[in-house]
Amino acid sequence: MAEAAALRVTVDMALCVGHGRCYELAPEVFGEDERGYCVLLREAVPESLAGQARSGEANCPEGAIRVERA
Amino acid sequence: MAAAPPSPPPNPDVEAGTVSLFDPGIAEKPQPIYDTLRERLPIARAAWTNSIVISRYEDVVWALRHPEIFSSKMDLQLALGTERPMIPQQIDPPAQTRYRKILDPRFSRKRMAEIEPRVRAHANELIDAVIDAGECEFDKSFAIPLPCTAFLGLLGLPQEHLDLFLELKDGIIRPHQRTTDLEEMKQIRAETGQRVYAYFEEVIDDRTAHPRDDLMTYLIGAQIDGETLSRNEVLDICFLMLLAGLDTVTASIGCTMAYLASNPQQLRKLVANPGLIDATVEELLRWETPVTSVPRVLAQDVTLHGRELKKGEMVSLLIGASNLDDGEFESPSSVDFDRERNRHLAFGAGPHRCLGSHLARMEMRVAIEEWHRRIPEYEIAPGEIPTYSPGIREVLYLPLVWKTRG
Repeated sequence: MAEAAALRVTVDMALCVGHGRCYELAPEVFGEDERGYCVLLREAVPESLAGQARSGEANCPEGAIRVERA
Repeated sequence: MAAAPPSPPPNPDVEAGTVSLFDPGIAEKPQPIYDTLRERLPIARAAWTNSIVISRYEDVVWALRHPEIFSSKMDLQLALGTERPMIPQQIDPPAQTRYRKILDPRFSRKRMAEIEPRVRAHANELIDAVIDAGECEFDKSFAIPLPCTAFLGLLGLPQEHLDLFLELKDGIIRPHQRTTDLEEMKQIRAETGQRVYAYFEEVIDDRTAHPRDDLMTYLIGAQIDGETLSRNEVLDICFLMLLAGLDTVTASIGCTMAYLASNPQQLRKLVANPGLIDATVEELLRWETPVTSVPRVLAQDVTLHGRELKKGEMVSLLIGASNLDDGEFESPSSVDFDRERNRHLAFGAGPHRCLGSHLARMEMRVAIEEWHRRIPEYEIAPGEIPTYSPGIREVLYLPLVWKTRG
């Protein structure tokens, strides 16, 4: 059974410049495109990946990632 | 009674509103100076260059994200032996963005993973050369050669050119090691610049005739809006890579090792928990900020903290100071390998985010992994004091000692 979404993640691609901290720290939530910019893998994040999602948010120097309760 | 010797002026000089960014003191231990600047002089004047020095995190990050105000078009005011602006560092969006679109994919984390085994092998060769001696001067033995070999590998240039490249980059970056005369320094830079152009001209000719699977060949064939790059564009990219790709990583590895060698508890913690290596790289990039500032020029008048700053003025964005701002970082003065939130600006921010950041991180991680796997205990040689260069904080003298087996 799929886990219920606990968090909702959004990325402001106008701010992303490819630091790559998100996909390094949270590889199950964020991926990378050919330029090394963020690709959001899942908007709805289950509790089990909440730590990853929050770590991605906390380490984005551009403040491009937002994590909210679903 | 003899008069007391005049005490050196304080740095920063809060009353005068100035700071010297090229003092030996600020290179060695910049953190207290950064704290004073942020708290008491958020807009300072740099001694000698007279540029405006901005140090608070929110100001620096704002400036980095607004190239229409804080331009990178330096008009060769900071000429480093170049005839034209370096690409893409010294040009602004939108032209800069077009170059980044073709360059970013070649410097992505995935690409860097491809050259990682070669860098790891080099790191081990460098360690092999010193491990039985139980001592080395780290800058010369490790921090300088490692990034150079990575750089040559990345561009597809022969490793035998290592010494030539070291000479060229020192001629551009450190002519003051050869003379104190400003005119002579300019001369050395200009002459070295010509040799850099000539070297890459030859490589361009060779790769045009004999394409290979390397970055030089890629640049020659790369297109923007259906047009291939001109010869000058390729040269201006190469010049930047030579200047930006070598000293910066040398300084970053040196600052990291000097910190660990001077802080045995932190060193033991790291060695006992190799899973902390990535976070250690990030935390020491924040704390040490080896590349202390980035230059900009004002493209328009702007008011900041009630001060009117004028179009055409030079600005130093002191990212080292912003990385210790308690407005952004929790307990910024404690070096914490478990820090959960770390939005440091060691690689800048905004459209000019360091193109080589993934390369630098990979080199730093590999250096720390391999060194500590093989030499987990070491310290600064007793009685010795490391020396740092200002601006880009290369640890020019870092004598390390360790126990040898058997």
